[in-house]
Amino acid sequence: MTNDNTAPASGSIMVVGGGISGLTTALEAAEVGYEVYLVEKNPYLGGRVAQLNQYFPKLCPPTCGLEINFRRIKDNPRIKVFTQAEIEKVDGNTGNYKVAVKINPRYVNENCTCCGDCAQACGIELNDEFNFGMSAKKGASLPFEMAFPSRFVLSSQIIGTEDAQKAKTACKYDAIDLDMQPKTLDLSVGSIVWATGWEPYDASKIDNLGFGQYDNVVTNMMIERMAAPNGPTKGKIERPSDSKALESIAFVQCAGSRDENHLPYCSYICCMASLKQATYVRERYPDAKIYIFYIDLRAPGQRYEKFYKNIKADENVFFIKGKVAEVSEDQATKNVTVVAENAVTGEKTSQTVDMAVLATGMQPTAANEKLPADLKYNTDGFIINDFEKGGMFAAGCANKPADVVSCNQNATGMALKAIQTLARK
Amino acid sequence: MSDEFIVEPDVNFIKEVSKLGGQDVKKCFQCATCSVACPISPETKPFPRKEMLATSWGLKDRLIGNGDIWLCHNCGDCTSRCPRGAKPGDVLAAVRTYTIGEYAVPKALGKAVNNPAKLPFLLAIPAALFIVIGFIIDLVFGVNWLNFSPSGEELWQADYFNNLLVDIIMVPTFFAAIGVFVLGLKRFIGDMHANAVLEGKTAKEKIDPAGFVQALVKIVPTILKHQRFSECGENRERATSHMMVLFGFIGLFIVTGCFFTAEWVFHIEGPYNQINPIKWLGNAGGIALIIGAFLMIAQRRGKKDQISSYKDWTLLGLVLMLGVTGMLTEMLRLGHLYGLSAFIYYLHLIFVWALFAYTPFSKLAHFVYRTVAMAYQEYSGRK
Repeated sequence: MTNDNTAPASGSIMVVGGGISGLTTALEAAEVGYEVYLVEKNPYLGGRVAQLNQYFPKLCPPTCGLEINFRRIKDNPRIKVFTQAEIEKVDGNTGNYKVAVKINPRYVNENCTCCGDCAQACGIELNDEFNFGMSAKKGASLPFEMAFPSRFVLSSQIIGTEDAQKAKTACKYDAIDLDMQPKTLDLSVGSIVWATGWEPYDASKIDNLGFGQYDNVVTNMMIERMAAPNGPTKGKIERPSDSKALESIAFVQCAGSRDENHLPYCSYICCMASLKQATYVRERYPDAKIYIFYIDLRAPGQRYEKFYKNIKADENVFFIKGKVAEVSEDQATKNVTVVAENAVTGEKTSQTVDMAVLATGMQPTAANEKLPADLKYNTDGFIINDFEKGGMFAAGCANKPADVVSCNQNATGMALKAIQTLARK
Repeated sequence: MSDEFIVEPDVNFIKEVSKLGGQDVKKCFQCATCSVACPISPETKPFPRKEMLATSWGLKDRLIGNGDIWLCHNCGDCTSRCPRGAKPGDVLAAVRTYTIGEYAVPKALGKAVNNPAKLPFLLAIPAALFIVIGFIIDLVFGVNWLNFSPSGEELWQADYFNNLLVDIIMVPTFFAAIGVFVLGLKRFIGDMHANAVLEGKTAKEKIDPAGFVQALVKIVPTILKHQRFSECGENRERATSHMMVLFGFIGLFIVTGCFFTAEWVFHIEGPYNQINPIKWLGNAGGIALIIGAFLMIAQRRGKKDQISSYKDWTLLGLVLMLGVTGMLTEMLRLGHLYGLSAFIYYLHLIFVWALFAYTPFSKLAHFVYRTVAMAYQEYSGRK
């Protein structure tokens, strides 16, 4: 695009996190001429978006948007991508940072053609976190079909086992290097954008909602993986306990969000996510009853409001104003019963369904582990942007819970903030 | 519910309830977790979500005659599950205190009972009453019912404060309290039924007295066994201490009745022998009061997420002081410290009078209102 632009100021920008926000910041800055280091802890780019089946409200697959971004990165020599990389230390000050980046070994080099022979050769099955444990993966695996970089990765868990050797032997392209070691790079940058994203809130902490206790209580990110064509069920939405087709499903909104005992804030996306997931269920089961239990439904803006209205028009989608506070399981049928008070009628409602989905919220990654830099956080772990001080900025969900559209807008703004830091140096 | 109505908030009501321990009511965002978290809330029209809304909107009329606020045993399960820290349990406790003040006449006395600044005045009334009436009787009739320096080898408190003096003050006070309760209950039962009809909590049109009494008899064992209390998760241990205090009071009430009869019907003078079984019951009751009160004070102090306000501390303080002064009077007499024993007895009289006179106005009135509300729930067939 604008690769031959020259930047009016010198210095590089580091973007931490290769999710949708980090990709956007990196690209926006690089495409106006700045050098960018994009640091991602996973072996692939795309972050949480890569795990989604569809975006709301357009219901298009995120792979489409990600693909465009990956192509832009490939075409742009100013972006240097480090995967399986973590920030160890940030020294210095505004406009002049020294960052130590630790790069963990992938054990697979650029010769990889994604033929998959190494995975075939492996025996040990590992929990696939990309699918929230709903499937297993081999010790050598491709994170997902369109992973970027498009290269297999060996789990550190199989290093030193027979599987590692088998994988190496199976590789026809000499792409596996078991001697790779972690290395640390010291990089000088002028500004840093933290796009460290979010984690789904640990649903097992919400002890009254039955996650982890009952098989057929899942989270919204789990059903997202189920619905995805590349997911553990290849796009089928079925009960985990017996793979039965769904006749009914309940969505439990605000599962852990807007709750002082868990996440005190509104996670912003869960209402729209559940409405979207209702369309997944409807697409697969034309007659399934869908129950959505909510405190308030938040579908902000005209487009989201329209989306909500469309779903509301479905006569087999039932909206119940009342937070689910109790979940139980019938041991024989494995059906799940959710209990709420319908605040409109004032009656206690018990709804038995095939499966319940907890609309868990987003917790900033920094809530569980503080970043190795001089950053300010609010009590929930979101990074507070100090624009006066400048130099380091948070973009996307590291800063506040947001949908993809808002993240992209915010990330673009943060690219500009990072550039301004360089220009003022 | 579906009809439109204009909300007429009673702002003063909201302020009063906030002062009584319901200050977090405005944090409620009506998620209704509380109604499900509550182990004793009925299936139809459960509480306390709707009461939280009515309180924060200042809909006083929907609350004071609402039997549901009394079905709540303030176990705190709703409060610990509340995502907002609105403390429904404490809000309902505050609404109950307000309600007690609404039904007890004169209202000014109810206000004074809940006002810390008025406490010395309220205690000064009985303190003065025994002395002044003693003097007046002495002056007018020349009868010496108040004796500050009785003589004799073996003395007891009645040598200082004649039982006649005590009883001519206590008995009318006791019946006055019952009178206040009767007047209050008359309105309360009517209001409760009207509220149940309005909110669709009962199919019954009128209250049939015989059926209501039957329901009352039916729920007595539930109350004595503290069955509702035991269903609670958060505050279960409180059932034991509450039971001690309740049974302590029941025991002491029986003892007082027996000795009253012994004295005035059979003319058997006290003090009664320690091997007398009634005396055992009295001692056991006194000890139960003290231990129960101590436990409840400790539990309240230990629970940081529960609001303990003036109404709670005064009641617990009163229970503790009743037990302590009663037991000390007896122990000091047995230790031949008659003068000191008589002084403690004087304090005991003050607290007993306060118990009788202020019960219809204080938190302790819950034993009447909750019993009646539980009987009504049983009667109305609510599940």
